[in-house]
Amino acid sequence: MRTSHIVAAALGVILAAGAPIAAHHSFAAEFDGSKPVTLRGTITKMEWTNPHAWLHIDVKGPDGKVVAWMIEGGAPNALLRRGWNKESVTPGTAIVVQGFRARDGSNRASGGDVTLPDGKKLFIGSTGTGAPGDAGGRK
Amino acid sequence: MKTLTAMMIAMVLAAFAAAAAQPESAKSWTQPRTPDGQPDMQGIWTNYTNTPFEVADEGDRPDFYGGDVDGTGRGTGPSSFLNDTSDRKLTKARSLVVDPPSGRVPIMPWAEEVRNYRLTHIQDDWVNFTPWERCITRGVPGGIFPAGYGSGYQILQGPGYVAIVYEMIHEARMIPIDGRPHLGPSFRLWNGDSRGRWEGNTLVVDVTGYNDKGTVATNVATQRVRAIPQSEQLHAVERFTRVDENTINYEVTIEDPKVFTSPWKVAMPLHREPDYQLFEYACHEGNRAVPNTLSGGRARDRTARASN
Repeated sequence: MRTSHIVAAALGVILAAGAPIAAHHSFAAEFDGSKPVTLRGTITKMEWTNPHAWLHIDVKGPDGKVVAWMIEGGAPNALLRRGWNKESVTPGTAIVVQGFRARDGSNRASGGDVTLPDGKKLFIGSTGTGAPGDAGGRK
Repeated sequence: MKTLTAMMIAMVLAAFAAAAAQPESAKSWTQPRTPDGQPDMQGIWTNYTNTPFEVADEGDRPDFYGGDVDGTGRGTGPSSFLNDTSDRKLTKARSLVVDPPSGRVPIMPWAEEVRNYRLTHIQDDWVNFTPWERCITRGVPGGIFPAGYGSGYQILQGPGYVAIVYEMIHEARMIPIDGRPHLGPSFRLWNGDSRGRWEGNTLVVDVTGYNDKGTVATNVATQRVRAIPQSEQLHAVERFTRVDENTINYEVTIEDPKVFTSPWKVAMPLHREPDYQLFEYACHEGNRAVPNTLSGGRARDRTARASN
Protein backbone atom coordinates (compact mmCIF):
# COMPACT_ATOMS: atom_id res chain seq x y z
CA MET A 1 0.00 0.00 0.00
CA ARG A 2 2.74 2.43 1.06
CA THR A 3 4.76 1.56 -2.00
CA SER A 4 1.92 2.27 -4.34
CA HIS A 5 1.39 5.69 -2.73
CA ILE A 6 5.04 6.58 -3.12
CA VAL A 7 4.96 5.51 -6.73
CA ALA A 8 1.83 7.51 -7.25
CA ALA A 9 3.42 10.63 -5.75
CA ALA A 10 6.47 10.19 -7.91
CA LEU A 11 4.25 10.21 -10.93
CA GLY A 12 2.78 13.52 -9.98
CA VAL A 13 -0.34 11.94 -8.61
CA ILE A 14 -1.92 13.88 -5.82
CA LEU A 15 -4.24 12.05 -3.53
CA ALA A 16 -7.43 13.97 -3.20
CA ALA A 17 -10.76 13.56 -1.53
CA GLY A 18 -13.70 12.96 -3.78
CA ALA A 19 -17.08 11.41 -4.07
CA PRO A 20 -17.22 7.81 -5.20
CA ILE A 21 -18.41 7.20 -8.70
CA ALA A 22 -20.83 4.56 -9.72
CA ALA A 23 -20.22 2.63 -12.89
CA HIS A 24 -22.30 0.36 -15.01
CA HIS A 25 -19.77 -2.36 -14.72
CA SER A 26 -18.92 -3.12 -11.15
CA PHE A 27 -16.82 -0.11 -10.17
CA ALA A 28 -15.52 -1.71 -7.01
CA ALA A 29 -14.31 -4.84 -8.80
CA GLU A 30 -12.18 -2.77 -11.14
CA PHE A 31 -11.28 0.40 -9.25
CA ASP A 32 -10.46 1.23 -5.66
CA GLY A 33 -12.79 3.77 -4.09
CA SER A 34 -10.25 4.38 -1.34
CA LYS A 35 -7.60 5.54 -3.79
CA PRO A 36 -8.67 8.83 -5.34
CA VAL A 37 -6.16 10.50 -7.64
CA THR A 38 -5.73 13.84 -9.31
CA LEU A 39 -3.83 13.61 -12.57
CA ARG A 40 -2.43 16.65 -14.40
CA GLY A 41 -1.57 15.80 -17.94
CA THR A 42 -2.09 16.33 -21.63
CA ILE A 43 -4.50 14.43 -23.80
CA THR A 44 -2.93 12.03 -26.26
CA LYS A 45 -6.02 10.19 -27.47
CA MET A 46 -9.72 9.72 -26.84
CA GLU A 47 -11.30 6.37 -27.62
CA TRP A 48 -15.01 6.91 -28.24
CA THR A 49 -15.81 3.28 -27.54
CA ASN A 50 -18.63 1.46 -25.81
CA PRO A 51 -19.36 0.37 -23.21
CA HIS A 52 -16.95 2.98 -21.85
CA ALA A 53 -14.91 5.69 -23.53
CA TRP A 54 -11.22 5.81 -22.61
CA LEU A 55 -9.21 9.01 -22.39
CA HIS A 56 -5.44 8.63 -22.72
CA ILE A 57 -3.23 11.24 -21.08
CA ASP A 58 0.48 11.78 -20.53
CA VAL A 59 1.34 12.74 -16.98
CA LYS A 60 4.74 14.29 -16.25
CA GLY A 61 6.19 13.45 -12.86
CA PRO A 62 8.49 15.64 -10.74
CA ASP A 63 11.47 13.89 -12.30
CA GLY A 64 10.33 14.94 -15.76
CA LYS A 65 9.46 11.41 -16.72
CA VAL A 66 6.26 11.14 -18.71
CA VAL A 67 3.90 8.29 -17.88
CA ALA A 68 0.84 7.31 -19.90
CA TRP A 69 -2.45 6.93 -18.04
CA MET A 70 -5.82 5.66 -19.22
CA ILE A 71 -9.00 7.15 -17.84
CA GLU A 72 -12.29 5.28 -18.04
CA GLY A 73 -15.24 7.47 -18.96
CA GLY A 74 -18.92 6.92 -19.47
CA ALA A 75 -20.50 5.63 -22.65
CA PRO A 76 -19.96 7.80 -25.75
CA ASN A 77 -23.63 8.59 -26.17
CA ALA A 78 -23.84 9.65 -22.52
CA LEU A 79 -20.76 11.86 -22.85
CA LEU A 80 -22.04 13.50 -26.04
CA ARG A 81 -25.30 14.36 -24.28
CA ARG A 82 -23.37 15.77 -21.34
CA GLY A 83 -21.46 18.21 -23.54
CA TRP A 84 -18.36 16.27 -24.52
CA ASN A 85 -17.35 16.34 -28.17
CA LYS A 86 -14.33 16.01 -30.41
CA GLU A 87 -13.20 19.53 -29.54
CA SER A 88 -13.22 18.80 -25.78
CA VAL A 89 -10.53 16.18 -26.12
CA THR A 90 -8.10 17.50 -28.72
CA PRO A 91 -4.68 15.87 -28.33
CA GLY A 92 -2.28 18.20 -26.54
CA THR A 93 -4.95 19.76 -24.35
CA ALA A 94 -3.79 20.19 -20.76
CA ILE A 95 -6.33 18.85 -18.30
CA VAL A 96 -6.77 17.87 -14.70
CA VAL A 97 -8.57 14.60 -14.04
CA GLN A 98 -10.00 13.47 -10.76
CA GLY A 99 -10.61 9.79 -10.46
CA PHE A 100 -9.97 6.53 -8.66
CA ARG A 101 -7.07 4.16 -9.30
CA ALA A 102 -7.32 0.69 -10.74
CA ARG A 103 -7.19 -2.12 -8.20
CA ASP A 104 -4.36 -3.86 -10.03
CA GLY A 105 -2.11 -0.85 -9.54
CA SER A 106 -1.66 -0.13 -13.24
CA ASN A 107 -1.85 3.38 -14.61
CA ARG A 108 -5.57 3.35 -15.12
CA ALA A 109 -8.27 5.26 -13.32
CA SER A 110 -11.99 5.66 -13.33
CA GLY A 111 -12.54 9.28 -14.33
CA GLY A 112 -14.65 11.85 -12.54
CA ASP A 113 -14.44 15.60 -12.98
CA VAL A 114 -12.15 16.83 -15.74
CA THR A 115 -11.01 20.45 -15.67
CA LEU A 116 -10.34 21.90 -19.10
CA PRO A 117 -7.82 24.72 -19.85
CA ASP A 118 -10.54 27.39 -19.63
CA GLY A 119 -11.46 26.22 -16.15
CA LYS A 120 -14.63 24.53 -17.31
CA LYS A 121 -15.35 21.25 -15.58
CA LEU A 122 -16.95 18.30 -17.30
CA PHE A 123 -17.83 15.03 -15.64
CA ILE A 124 -16.40 12.18 -17.68
CA GLY A 125 -17.40 9.27 -15.46
CA SER A 126 -20.19 6.79 -15.73
CA THR A 127 -23.51 8.02 -14.56
CA GLY A 128 -24.53 6.28 -11.44
CA THR A 129 -27.46 6.98 -9.25
CA GLY A 130 -29.18 10.03 -10.65
CA ALA A 131 -29.72 10.95 -7.03
CA PRO A 132 -29.25 14.60 -6.05
CA GLY A 133 -25.72 15.26 -4.95
CA ASP A 134 -24.44 11.98 -6.23
CA ALA A 135 -21.55 12.06 -8.65
CA GLY A 136 -23.60 10.01 -11.06
CA GLY A 137 -26.34 12.59 -11.09
CA ARG A 138 -24.13 15.24 -12.66
CA LYS A 139 -24.43 16.07 -16.30
CA MET B 1 -88.30 3.86 -18.23
CA LYS B 2 -86.24 4.21 -15.09
CA THR B 3 -84.08 1.36 -16.31
CA LEU B 4 -83.61 3.00 -19.71
CA THR B 5 -82.67 6.33 -18.13
CA ALA B 6 -80.22 4.59 -15.83
CA MET B 7 -78.71 2.76 -18.80
CA MET B 8 -78.36 6.01 -20.74
CA ILE B 9 -76.71 7.74 -17.79
CA ALA B 10 -74.38 4.78 -17.39
CA MET B 11 -73.49 4.89 -21.10
CA VAL B 12 -72.78 8.63 -20.98
CA LEU B 13 -70.65 8.19 -17.87
CA ALA B 14 -68.81 5.30 -19.49
CA ALA B 15 -68.12 7.43 -22.56
CA PHE B 16 -66.73 10.22 -20.36
CA ALA B 17 -64.63 7.72 -18.45
CA ALA B 18 -63.25 6.26 -21.67
CA ALA B 19 -62.41 9.74 -22.99
CA ALA B 20 -60.74 10.67 -19.72
CA ALA B 21 -58.64 7.51 -19.83
CA GLN B 22 -57.23 8.45 -23.23
CA PRO B 23 -53.96 10.39 -23.33
CA GLU B 24 -54.61 14.04 -24.20
CA SER B 25 -52.92 13.79 -27.58
CA ALA B 26 -54.75 10.58 -28.44
CA LYS B 27 -58.11 12.32 -28.67
CA SER B 28 -57.23 13.77 -32.03
CA TRP B 29 -54.69 11.16 -33.00
CA THR B 30 -55.24 8.49 -35.61
CA GLN B 31 -53.17 5.34 -35.58
CA PRO B 32 -50.97 5.57 -38.69
CA ARG B 33 -50.50 2.44 -40.76
CA THR B 34 -47.71 0.99 -42.83
CA PRO B 35 -48.34 0.38 -46.56
CA ASP B 36 -49.13 -3.26 -45.77
CA GLY B 37 -51.67 -2.24 -43.14
CA GLN B 38 -49.81 -2.78 -39.85
CA PRO B 39 -50.19 -0.20 -37.10
CA ASP B 40 -47.13 1.96 -37.74
CA MET B 41 -44.68 2.10 -34.83
CA GLN B 42 -41.62 2.90 -36.90
CA GLY B 43 -39.10 5.42 -35.66
CA ILE B 44 -36.65 6.07 -32.86
CA TRP B 45 -37.88 5.52 -29.33
CA THR B 46 -36.15 5.92 -25.94
CA ASN B 47 -36.92 4.54 -22.52
CA TYR B 48 -35.53 7.11 -20.08
CA THR B 49 -37.32 7.00 -16.78
CA ASN B 50 -36.86 7.91 -13.16
CA THR B 51 -39.08 5.09 -11.98
CA PRO B 52 -37.25 2.34 -10.09
CA PHE B 53 -37.50 -1.19 -11.45
CA GLU B 54 -38.92 -2.65 -8.23
CA VAL B 55 -40.48 -1.19 -5.12
CA ALA B 56 -37.67 -0.93 -2.59
CA ASP B 57 -37.56 -3.15 0.47
CA GLU B 58 -35.58 -2.63 3.64
CA GLY B 59 -33.85 -5.95 3.04
CA ASP B 60 -32.46 -4.78 -0.31
CA ARG B 61 -28.72 -4.41 -0.71
CA PRO B 62 -28.32 -1.81 -3.47
CA ASP B 63 -24.55 -1.50 -3.06
CA PHE B 64 -24.17 -5.25 -3.33
CA TYR B 65 -26.38 -5.50 -6.41
CA GLY B 66 -24.27 -2.71 -7.90
CA GLY B 67 -21.08 -4.70 -7.53
CA ASP B 68 -19.65 -3.68 -4.15
CA VAL B 69 -17.23 -6.59 -4.06
CA ASP B 70 -15.29 -5.59 -0.97
CA GLY B 71 -18.16 -4.49 1.21
CA THR B 72 -16.87 -0.96 1.62
CA GLY B 73 -20.02 0.49 0.15
CA ARG B 74 -17.88 2.77 -1.94
CA GLY B 75 -17.97 3.38 -5.61
CA THR B 76 -20.74 1.02 -6.40
CA GLY B 77 -23.93 0.94 -8.32
CA PRO B 78 -27.08 2.94 -8.08
CA SER B 79 -29.82 2.92 -5.56
CA SER B 80 -32.21 4.16 -8.19
CA PHE B 81 -32.26 4.61 -11.93
CA LEU B 82 -29.38 5.73 -14.06
CA ASN B 83 -30.17 8.83 -16.02
CA ASP B 84 -28.06 10.90 -18.32
CA THR B 85 -31.07 13.12 -18.84
CA SER B 86 -32.77 12.87 -15.52
CA ASP B 87 -34.85 15.98 -16.11
CA ARG B 88 -36.91 14.23 -18.74
CA LYS B 89 -39.61 11.62 -18.87
CA LEU B 90 -40.53 11.78 -15.24
CA THR B 91 -43.28 9.38 -14.33
CA LYS B 92 -45.25 8.88 -11.18
CA ALA B 93 -45.30 5.10 -11.21
CA ARG B 94 -44.04 3.45 -8.04
CA SER B 95 -42.10 0.83 -9.94
CA LEU B 96 -41.80 -0.62 -13.43
CA VAL B 97 -42.84 -3.97 -11.98
CA VAL B 98 -46.62 -3.65 -11.84
CA ASP B 99 -47.56 -7.22 -11.03
CA PRO B 100 -47.50 -8.63 -8.39
CA PRO B 101 -49.07 -5.50 -6.87
CA SER B 102 -46.24 -5.42 -4.31
CA GLY B 103 -43.95 -4.31 -7.12
CA ARG B 104 -41.52 -7.08 -6.15
CA VAL B 105 -40.32 -9.81 -8.50
CA PRO B 106 -41.13 -13.24 -6.96
CA ILE B 107 -37.60 -14.68 -7.17
CA MET B 108 -36.94 -18.13 -5.72
CA PRO B 109 -34.25 -18.20 -2.99
CA TRP B 110 -31.92 -20.52 -4.96
CA ALA B 111 -31.85 -18.04 -7.83
CA GLU B 112 -30.92 -15.21 -5.44
CA GLU B 113 -28.11 -17.41 -4.13
CA VAL B 114 -26.79 -17.91 -7.66
CA ARG B 115 -26.89 -14.14 -8.19
CA ASN B 116 -25.13 -13.53 -4.89
CA TYR B 117 -22.39 -15.98 -5.82
CA ARG B 118 -21.89 -14.38 -9.21
CA LEU B 119 -21.71 -10.87 -7.79
CA THR B 120 -19.38 -11.91 -4.97
CA HIS B 121 -17.05 -13.83 -7.27
CA ILE B 122 -17.02 -11.51 -10.26
CA GLN B 123 -13.26 -11.00 -9.89
CA ASP B 124 -12.67 -14.76 -10.00
CA ASP B 125 -13.98 -15.88 -13.36
CA TRP B 126 -15.43 -14.42 -16.53
CA VAL B 127 -18.44 -16.74 -16.27
CA ASN B 128 -19.67 -14.74 -13.29
CA PHE B 129 -20.25 -11.65 -15.42
CA THR B 130 -23.68 -11.09 -16.93
CA PRO B 131 -24.02 -11.63 -20.69
CA TRP B 132 -24.27 -7.85 -20.98
CA GLU B 133 -20.90 -7.25 -19.34
CA ARG B 134 -19.49 -9.94 -21.62
CA CYS B 135 -20.97 -8.11 -24.64
CA ILE B 136 -23.12 -11.08 -25.65
CA THR B 137 -26.60 -9.67 -25.14
CA ARG B 138 -28.76 -7.72 -22.74
CA GLY B 139 -31.37 -10.37 -23.32
CA VAL B 140 -35.04 -10.46 -24.23
CA PRO B 141 -36.93 -8.88 -22.61
CA GLY B 142 -34.07 -7.46 -20.48
CA GLY B 143 -32.66 -5.47 -23.39
CA ILE B 144 -35.58 -3.10 -23.29
CA PHE B 145 -35.45 -2.42 -19.56
CA PRO B 146 -34.08 1.09 -18.94
CA ALA B 147 -30.36 1.39 -18.34
CA GLY B 148 -30.04 5.17 -18.36
CA TYR B 149 -27.75 5.44 -21.36
CA GLY B 150 -27.59 3.86 -24.80
CA SER B 151 -31.36 4.08 -24.53
CA GLY B 152 -32.37 4.21 -28.20
CA TYR B 153 -34.60 1.69 -29.95
CA GLN B 154 -35.36 1.86 -33.66
CA ILE B 155 -38.44 0.04 -34.87
CA LEU B 156 -38.70 -0.90 -38.54
CA GLN B 157 -41.61 -2.73 -40.14
CA GLY B 158 -41.96 -4.60 -43.39
CA PRO B 159 -44.29 -7.25 -44.75
CA GLY B 160 -44.13 -10.20 -42.38
CA TYR B 161 -41.67 -8.69 -39.92
CA VAL B 162 -41.16 -6.16 -37.19
CA ALA B 163 -37.51 -5.39 -36.53
CA ILE B 164 -36.16 -3.65 -33.44
CA VAL B 165 -32.62 -2.28 -33.34
CA TYR B 166 -31.39 -2.00 -29.76
CA GLU B 167 -28.71 0.66 -29.36
CA MET B 168 -27.31 -1.19 -26.34
CA ILE B 169 -25.59 -3.53 -27.06
CA HIS B 170 -25.98 -3.24 -30.79
CA GLU B 171 -28.61 -5.92 -31.24
CA ALA B 172 -31.11 -6.31 -34.07
CA ARG B 173 -34.17 -8.33 -33.23
CA MET B 174 -36.27 -9.80 -36.04
CA ILE B 175 -39.83 -10.63 -35.08
CA PRO B 176 -41.78 -12.65 -37.67
CA ILE B 177 -45.48 -11.74 -37.74
CA ASP B 178 -46.52 -14.15 -40.48
CA GLY B 179 -48.02 -16.79 -38.21
CA ARG B 180 -45.16 -19.24 -38.38
CA PRO B 181 -44.80 -21.56 -35.38
CA HIS B 182 -42.01 -21.48 -32.82
CA LEU B 183 -38.80 -23.26 -33.76
CA GLY B 184 -39.44 -26.10 -31.33
CA PRO B 185 -37.72 -27.42 -28.20
CA SER B 186 -34.50 -28.50 -29.87
CA PHE B 187 -33.51 -24.87 -30.47
CA ARG B 188 -32.19 -23.07 -27.40
CA LEU B 189 -31.20 -19.44 -27.90
CA TRP B 190 -29.80 -16.70 -25.68
CA ASN B 191 -32.74 -14.46 -26.57
CA GLY B 192 -35.30 -17.15 -27.28
CA ASP B 193 -37.44 -17.37 -30.34
CA SER B 194 -39.83 -14.43 -30.93
CA ARG B 195 -43.15 -14.79 -32.73
CA GLY B 196 -45.37 -11.74 -33.19
CA ARG B 197 -48.99 -11.14 -34.04
CA TRP B 198 -51.28 -8.14 -34.10
CA GLU B 199 -54.19 -8.02 -31.69
CA GLY B 200 -55.95 -4.87 -32.84
CA ASN B 201 -53.32 -2.17 -32.62
CA THR B 202 -51.19 -4.14 -30.17
CA LEU B 203 -48.16 -6.12 -31.29
CA VAL B 204 -48.05 -9.23 -29.12
CA VAL B 205 -44.73 -11.08 -29.12
CA ASP B 206 -44.46 -14.56 -27.65
CA VAL B 207 -40.92 -15.59 -26.76
CA THR B 208 -39.84 -19.13 -25.86
CA GLY B 209 -36.92 -21.43 -26.65
CA TYR B 210 -34.37 -19.82 -24.34
CA ASN B 211 -31.13 -21.42 -23.23
CA ASP B 212 -30.32 -21.48 -19.53
CA LYS B 213 -27.19 -19.35 -19.81
CA GLY B 214 -28.71 -15.90 -19.82
CA THR B 215 -30.29 -13.66 -17.24
CA VAL B 216 -33.67 -11.95 -17.40
CA ALA B 217 -32.06 -8.63 -16.51
CA THR B 218 -28.43 -7.66 -16.80
CA ASN B 219 -27.81 -4.06 -15.94
CA VAL B 220 -27.40 -2.41 -12.57
CA ALA B 221 -30.60 -0.41 -12.90
CA THR B 222 -32.60 -3.60 -12.52
CA GLN B 223 -31.05 -3.96 -9.07
CA ARG B 224 -32.13 -7.16 -7.28
CA VAL B 225 -33.14 -8.85 -10.54
CA ARG B 226 -29.76 -8.33 -12.19
CA ALA B 227 -27.83 -11.57 -12.74
CA ILE B 228 -30.78 -13.73 -11.71
CA PRO B 229 -30.45 -16.88 -13.86
CA GLN B 230 -33.00 -17.98 -16.42
CA SER B 231 -34.03 -21.54 -17.23
CA GLU B 232 -35.10 -23.13 -20.48
CA GLN B 233 -38.66 -22.74 -19.25
CA LEU B 234 -38.51 -18.94 -19.44
CA HIS B 235 -41.49 -17.60 -21.35
CA ALA B 236 -42.11 -13.92 -22.09
CA VAL B 237 -45.14 -12.28 -23.67
CA GLU B 238 -44.56 -8.70 -24.75
CA ARG B 239 -47.19 -6.19 -25.79
CA PHE B 240 -46.35 -3.03 -27.74
CA THR B 241 -49.25 -0.57 -28.12
CA ARG B 242 -48.80 2.84 -29.68
CA VAL B 243 -51.25 5.02 -27.77
CA ASP B 244 -50.43 8.39 -29.32
CA GLU B 245 -47.97 10.03 -31.67
CA ASN B 246 -45.16 10.00 -29.14
CA THR B 247 -45.83 7.02 -26.87
CA ILE B 248 -45.73 3.25 -27.06
CA ASN B 249 -46.95 1.45 -23.98
CA TYR B 250 -44.72 -1.56 -23.48
CA GLU B 251 -45.69 -4.46 -21.24
CA VAL B 252 -44.11 -7.81 -20.67
CA THR B 253 -45.27 -10.77 -18.63
CA ILE B 254 -42.46 -13.09 -17.57
CA GLU B 255 -42.81 -16.62 -16.28
CA ASP B 256 -40.15 -19.13 -15.45
CA PRO B 257 -41.44 -21.76 -13.02
CA LYS B 258 -37.91 -22.83 -12.13
CA VAL B 259 -36.88 -19.32 -11.13
CA PHE B 260 -39.97 -17.33 -10.11
CA THR B 261 -42.78 -18.47 -7.85
CA SER B 262 -45.36 -16.76 -10.07
CA PRO B 263 -45.49 -14.75 -13.31
CA TRP B 264 -44.63 -11.06 -13.03
CA LYS B 265 -45.19 -8.09 -15.23
CA VAL B 266 -43.34 -4.92 -16.20
CA ALA B 267 -45.09 -1.91 -17.76
CA MET B 268 -43.39 1.21 -19.03
CA PRO B 269 -43.62 3.78 -21.84
CA LEU B 270 -41.31 4.18 -24.81
CA HIS B 271 -41.02 7.79 -25.97
CA ARG B 272 -40.70 8.80 -29.62
CA GLU B 273 -37.55 10.85 -30.02
CA PRO B 274 -36.92 11.39 -33.76
CA ASP B 275 -33.82 13.54 -33.18
CA TYR B 276 -32.10 10.90 -31.04
CA GLN B 277 -29.22 9.18 -32.81
CA LEU B 278 -28.23 5.61 -32.08
CA PHE B 279 -24.51 5.42 -31.39
CA GLU B 280 -22.85 2.31 -32.75
CA TYR B 281 -22.32 0.22 -29.64
CA ALA B 282 -19.51 -2.08 -30.84
CA CYS B 283 -19.45 -3.57 -27.37
CA HIS B 284 -16.32 -5.72 -27.60
CA GLU B 285 -14.19 -2.92 -28.99
CA GLY B 286 -13.90 -1.08 -25.71
CA ASN B 287 -14.83 -3.80 -23.26
CA ARG B 288 -11.86 -3.59 -20.94
CA ALA B 289 -13.98 -4.13 -17.86
CA VAL B 290 -13.69 -7.92 -17.93
CA PRO B 291 -9.86 -8.14 -18.03
CA ASN B 292 -9.52 -5.16 -15.69
CA THR B 293 -11.88 -6.69 -13.15
CA LEU B 294 -10.10 -10.04 -13.29
CA SER B 295 -6.71 -8.34 -12.91
CA GLY B 296 -8.17 -6.46 -9.95
CA GLY B 297 -9.00 -9.86 -8.47
CA ARG B 298 -5.49 -11.16 -9.04
CA ALA B 299 -4.10 -8.06 -7.32
CA ARG B 300 -6.41 -8.84 -4.41
CA ASP B 301 -5.10 -12.42 -4.33
CA ARG B 302 -1.49 -11.24 -4.27
CA THR B 303 -2.23 -8.89 -1.40
CA ALA B 304 -3.96 -11.71 0.49
CA ARG B 305 -1.00 -14.05 -0.06
CA ALA B 306 1.49 -11.39 1.01
CA SER B 307 -0.36 -10.76 4.25
CA ASN B 308 -0.52 -14.47 5.14
